[in-house]
Amino acid sequence: MSERMQKNLESKRALRSRHAALPFAEKLVMLEKLRVRSLAIAASPLRRRVAK
Amino acid sequence: MKDTFAIINQMQADGVIGRYAIGGAVGATFYLEPSATLDIDIFVSLQNFSGSKLVSLSPIYDYLTARGCRLDKEYIGIAGWPVQFLPPGDALDEEALLQAVATEVDGIKVWVMTAEHLVAIALRTGRAKDFIRILQFIESGSLHSGKLDDVLTRHGLLAKWESFGDKFLGDKP
Repeated sequence: MSERMQKNLESKRALRSRHAALPFAEKLVMLEKLRVRSLAIAASPLRRRVAK
Repeated sequence: MKDTFAIINQMQADGVIGRYAIGGAVGATFYLEPSATLDIDIFVSLQNFSGSKLVSLSPIYDYLTARGCRLDKEYIGIAGWPVQFLPPGDALDEEALLQAVATEVDGIKVWVMTAEHLVAIALRTGRAKDFIRILQFIESGSLHSGKLDDVLTRHGLLAKWESFGDKFLGDKP
């Protein structure tokens, strides 16, 4: 694995750890945002066109 | 989601449901980084007034629809979130419900399954997304190995756990 890729993975792992350490209430707010985005993606006409 | 929990707590205070525990992706979010989910899984013990052994979710649905919540297949929309109420299906679910830990969301008390029970239930369910969640738990270091071992042993999941380890970890987890 290249050094650059190694750094990317470490950075992602650190970000995930920081998110995991947030208070539950803050993480639930993030879940709300993720849900809104998931629904928007699911409703996208572009996505439906690709699905055909 | 805070409003969703407030309504569920009120339903509990009104005696419609007994103990409850948040499971699934929302429960896992208590321990892990948030990952997208479209619904909330609530494991719930029901008051059985009829003396029947059959479990009915009707009291929950009646209570919530009378308060403006809408049914959609197996979900009921509460304060904008589809919620699935799951009565315990086996001893593992019962135990997860009994041992759920209390926490607070902006001053609202809620109960969340332990990390070990969430993993055991994910292992039993066995979909791809469940395996991903188990891997997240392992990587996060939030599991207590002794407790997990006890839960898996008590509920006959050790063989599945070893198979999971062989498949995804290349060794016993």
